[in-house]
Amino acid sequence: MNHRILVTRPNSDRTTRYLSEWAKKAIELASKKGDIILDLYKNKANRKQFESMIRRNTPSFIFINGHGNEVCVTGQNEEVLVEADHNENILSKSVIYAVSCSSGKTLGKNSVKAGAYSYIGYEDKFIFLFDEKKRTRPLEDKVAGPFLESSNQVAVSLIKGHTAGEAFASSQKCFMRKIQKLLSSGVSVRESSALRYLLWNKQFQVCIGNPSATI
Amino acid sequence: MNLEQEIKELVIARLDTLPDGVGVSVGSDGDYSKKDLIQHVELGDEIGKKIIEVEMHFLRALKSGALYESSYLSNEA
Repeated sequence: MNHRILVTRPNSDRTTRYLSEWAKKAIELASKKGDIILDLYKNKANRKQFESMIRRNTPSFIFINGHGNEVCVTGQNEEVLVEADHNENILSKSVIYAVSCSSGKTLGKNSVKAGAYSYIGYEDKFIFLFDEKKRTRPLEDKVAGPFLESSNQVAVSLIKGHTAGEAFASSQKCFMRKIQKLLSSGVSVRESSALRYLLWNKQFQVCIGNPSATI
Repeated sequence: MNLEQEIKELVIARLDTLPDGVGVSVGSDGDYSKKDLIQHVELGDEIGKKIIEVEMHFLRALKSGALYESSYLSNEA
């Protein structure tokens, strides 16, 4: 079955540029499987187009990459896309994965109450390390890689047909494998500095709503 | 030296092991170098407090041995 997948990929600062580039991997996988990708890249990651795309296409999976806080997630130039007590009902009848700081805390819960099948996100800051020398080539950044590979495992797993609960568990396992690899001997100081932030992201990743939901 | 200052010094000592040339993205709060993070911890502002929180979270996990337990792994997908 061909799914409709909406992805937001703002590109207005280093963080969003990294998230957007790394999200391409999940998009490529979905495209190969024949899914329909609604890619809101750069200036298209605005509220008007976000809402319009959802209303017209009813995507089964909404993959949000961007900044956020407890009550909202944002797009290009930090324009608010979805905000609790305002328009979270736009997310109803979808599975959502938000790579955004803190939105799991309030927006995620509100979204599920408003009809979203499942919301996977984070209840605190999403933190990652990056290599200064790779800032213009995020996909080549091996320092950022463990963070974004683990995070994106949610999207990859959902696209492969797993449930929200399975996708969450898969991402958690990915984080843990990377952590345990860094705890082993023979790892450089440069590599092991990622430990505390990988653990943080893993700890605060949450899956709210129906764990059996699929896209 | 009070506890708060001791914790700050511990976190700063640990931050000092971050390699040069590696930055830290803290969501919409911005990107920081090792030097920036140390300054924020010394200032005790919101970023500094968050970095302390992250560091202490890690140290507690290490101390509890949780990171080395197989049960810390989540269930099979």
